[in-house]
Amino acid sequence: MDAMPFLIENVTKVVLALFVLALMGNFFLIGVVFLRRWRRQKYFSRVDALREQYGPIIAGVVSGRIAYPNGLDELRQISGPDRLFMLERLCLEKKPTPQEEPLLRRLCEDLGLVKIWQQRLMGQIDQSSLREALINPQGVLRRVKFLHFLIRSKSAENLGLIRHEPSWPLLVKALDDPNPDIQMVAVRALTAIHYPGSFLPLAEQLHKAVLESTPNLSVRVLKTALVSFPLQSARELRPSLRHPNPRIRFLATDVIREMVEREASGKADFRLDRKNFDDETAGVFLTDLPFDGNPDVRARAAPVIAYLADPRAASTLFTLLEDSAWFVRLHAVRSLARHRFLPTGDRISSALTDPNWRVREAAVRILRGFGRPGLDLLTAHFLATRDRYSREQVADEFQRAGLIPELLTRCAETGNGRDTAVLRNMAEMGKTSYMISVLEEREGNGKLRKSFLQHFGRYPDPQIHQWVERVAVKEPDFDVRSLAQEVLAATPQRGEG
Amino acid sequence: MELWRQIFIHGMDMFNLLIVSYFFIGNGVYTLLMVLSLATVWLYNRRLSYQDLDEIRESPVTPPVTIVIPAWNEERIILETTTSTLQTDYPELEVVVVDDGSTDGTLTRLIDHFHLVKMDLIYRPHIFTRAVRGFYMNPETPNLLVVSKENGGKPDALNAGINVCRTPYFCTLDSDSILERDALLRLMRPVIHSPVNTVASGGIVRVMNGCQIRDGRVAQVALPKSSLERFQVVEYLRSFLFGRTGWDLLGGTLIVSGAFAIFHRETVMEAGGFAHDTVTEDMDLIVQLHHWAAKSKRRIRMSFTSDPVCWTECPATLKMLGKQRRRWQLGLCQTLWKHSEMLFNRKYGMVGTLSFPFHLYVEALGAVVEFLGYFMVPLAIIFGMVPAMLYLLFVLLSLAYGGLLSIGAVLLEELTYRRYPAYRDLARLLWYAFIENLGYRQLVLYYRFEGVVRFLTGSGRWEKVTHVGVTQ
Repeated sequence: MDAMPFLIENVTKVVLALFVLALMGNFFLIGVVFLRRWRRQKYFSRVDALREQYGPIIAGVVSGRIAYPNGLDELRQISGPDRLFMLERLCLEKKPTPQEEPLLRRLCEDLGLVKIWQQRLMGQIDQSSLREALINPQGVLRRVKFLHFLIRSKSAENLGLIRHEPSWPLLVKALDDPNPDIQMVAVRALTAIHYPGSFLPLAEQLHKAVLESTPNLSVRVLKTALVSFPLQSARELRPSLRHPNPRIRFLATDVIREMVEREASGKADFRLDRKNFDDETAGVFLTDLPFDGNPDVRARAAPVIAYLADPRAASTLFTLLEDSAWFVRLHAVRSLARHRFLPTGDRISSALTDPNWRVREAAVRILRGFGRPGLDLLTAHFLATRDRYSREQVADEFQRAGLIPELLTRCAETGNGRDTAVLRNMAEMGKTSYMISVLEEREGNGKLRKSFLQHFGRYPDPQIHQWVERVAVKEPDFDVRSLAQEVLAATPQRGEG
Repeated sequence: MELWRQIFIHGMDMFNLLIVSYFFIGNGVYTLLMVLSLATVWLYNRRLSYQDLDEIRESPVTPPVTIVIPAWNEERIILETTTSTLQTDYPELEVVVVDDGSTDGTLTRLIDHFHLVKMDLIYRPHIFTRAVRGFYMNPETPNLLVVSKENGGKPDALNAGINVCRTPYFCTLDSDSILERDALLRLMRPVIHSPVNTVASGGIVRVMNGCQIRDGRVAQVALPKSSLERFQVVEYLRSFLFGRTGWDLLGGTLIVSGAFAIFHRETVMEAGGFAHDTVTEDMDLIVQLHHWAAKSKRRIRMSFTSDPVCWTECPATLKMLGKQRRRWQLGLCQTLWKHSEMLFNRKYGMVGTLSFPFHLYVEALGAVVEFLGYFMVPLAIIFGMVPAMLYLLFVLLSLAYGGLLSIGAVLLEELTYRRYPAYRDLARLLWYAFIENLGYRQLVLYYRFEGVVRFLTGSGRWEKVTHVGVTQ
């Protein structure tokens, strides 16, 4: 206890010192905040001034409105310690259109930017002095070695932005860089450049991403890169389709599927034949992949098979429709939608009673997507089937697709037996909310309401009953109101049995 | 008598020790987080210069996302939120608004504005929820679905949203929040770029009060008028920019704000969805996901990114602030108690060994220690157990250090995103950061203390926070 006053004194001193330090820290940080704001404003003022002066020149040069040599001379006049940084910023401020790309590429080459980007990507970065580090926006990055990856990544990005094809070997080399950012940007740049020789190295990276325990690159990034290549590159994935690792086989199949989907989009008669898909790869899709041990592979193979011009394609696809894995059946059903040249309607109809709801749902949506013939098939199935789940699914799609107003109108106008039967089925299932909404919306349409009262007014559905009660009291049209009152009088009241 | 005196003295000594340890542990970890965040956010911001969003926007492998908006009595803002959400820049997007049995015009406003019709669609309750009353859709706007259900609370509404969601990822969004157009793309970036399965990805939530809103977008950023709201601006900056960033870097993420976060649907379903037994279902889910991953030996990742922005309204009155903070504190206590086996459990990695103990000691129990400290230490001075000068200096130190941390958050904002362009706003932010510890901190501490008391007395219930509205 005797030592206490001594200790307290010391503690007081320590706390006082800490307080002074913390207070000074406060003021220091406030100073840094304002200094930072001031420097940023100064920097942006310079960027704005340069943009104002040289922006129109760059735009003119890349669009061809200004003679190239004149524009180049003007841009070479930009000076200062941050010259390169500013030039880079001004040239790449806007993403170039495909028409602007060649001239922009040339401009970047002639200004010496491309060479610097290439050198930097390879790690040749000139270290800045301390003074430069404080003045130049990129000075700190160049001075601190640990931060060099930022400059290298940006250089790779720039090469990709201008699609500098001769740089592809450097970018491929960067795929094996230990820094994940450089790897990722290199993947993206290669994707932009699309040089055929880079497809295989990217595919190898995909293998690594699967096989390594802690990969740097994500499978999604690599897939995005690979699928952007032309369909002709698919043949390079043949070894991957036969790889012992099931995940690699799956990813390779999926990449080809995406390529095929992209090629097929907007082309109604698209087919995979010798002109766009080599025989050997097609053979793998027809003979190996539908029987692969990995159901994911079988599933992803289905859409490609659907586009194959080979006569075996249809039977292979039908085999997949019977697969034990539900998601294989799901993909097979979806694939049939693409295979318009086949008489697939009946096959899809059979999927309407699949034990898995996702397969049923896909089948319904696909038939709906076929337009009138598909809708006729759906209607026929809806009226004939006793499968409750299948009926629910069809009723769900009829509502989502907004078919109820059309059915009600046709029922009122033509008295079409099939439309009335569909509505009757839906009423029996208690799916009456949409019908009531339509009837309440169309206040003036007495014919529609009358028809509904005649056909469905006596249904023991609470929503219909409430609506009839409302119409019987509030309907302005005398005929409709009288009919509603008649219906009500003829309908047994609750509790009457 | 002497015995009681000795017990009292020892008790006071122990308590003083507790306060000192709380001060040093809390501020030590906060300082570490601030330093880490300064470096991380600065670096991240630099990295953004070569991270193009077009890649995500245009890639066919970008997964579709459903935004789930739980709404209960939000008729005032629900249209703005839904409209702005539908305008979100994302390749494949669905929006599900779950009306959790509102008693105001929330549902009616949605029906009228979007011309929705009631449909009897299939509902598959993979996660149990209260009964669904109906689905509302407009076939012309197929990517908007409104689900009307019986009131069951926010977690129940979120679970209903998950049940109807068909995409591999879903994003939770509070009904009083507005997303920036590209926020979802930015939030998905870590999911797409990560080689590890990212099951949760959170973004930054900023205070909308004081900003100009036009066509469901924040058109002009400005500081709110009242001091209470300005203090919260600083608080949000500190909490998101250095708290969450720091924990993310350390791999100890325990909180991802459910106001704006993306989750992997199947993983959430496997983990049981949002639980009803805490009032902070977002934090509970994150902890539950850690729990699930450890149990099922799955390698998962949760990320926090500081550039996807969601604007939200903060409470403008003391009453609402009290409700909000009591709920947050109560939820924190409930969640930590519920998952107490994670405490110092190495199985949970950084979460179990550092993040969980820190949240328990500094964030949960710290409210009690600090609150009682304001009474006990003066008592100790009166009894001559602590020199008054030392106490005064200690208080000053804690104020100055608190200010330092808050100013650090403003610096972080200035180093990176600079959302407040006016010099006047910057100066005000700094001023409010400097004085935050004089009054506002104590006020919030009181509400937090109340939250702990509610937890201890078992009177935990959801308190609805209503807002006054933002400038249109």
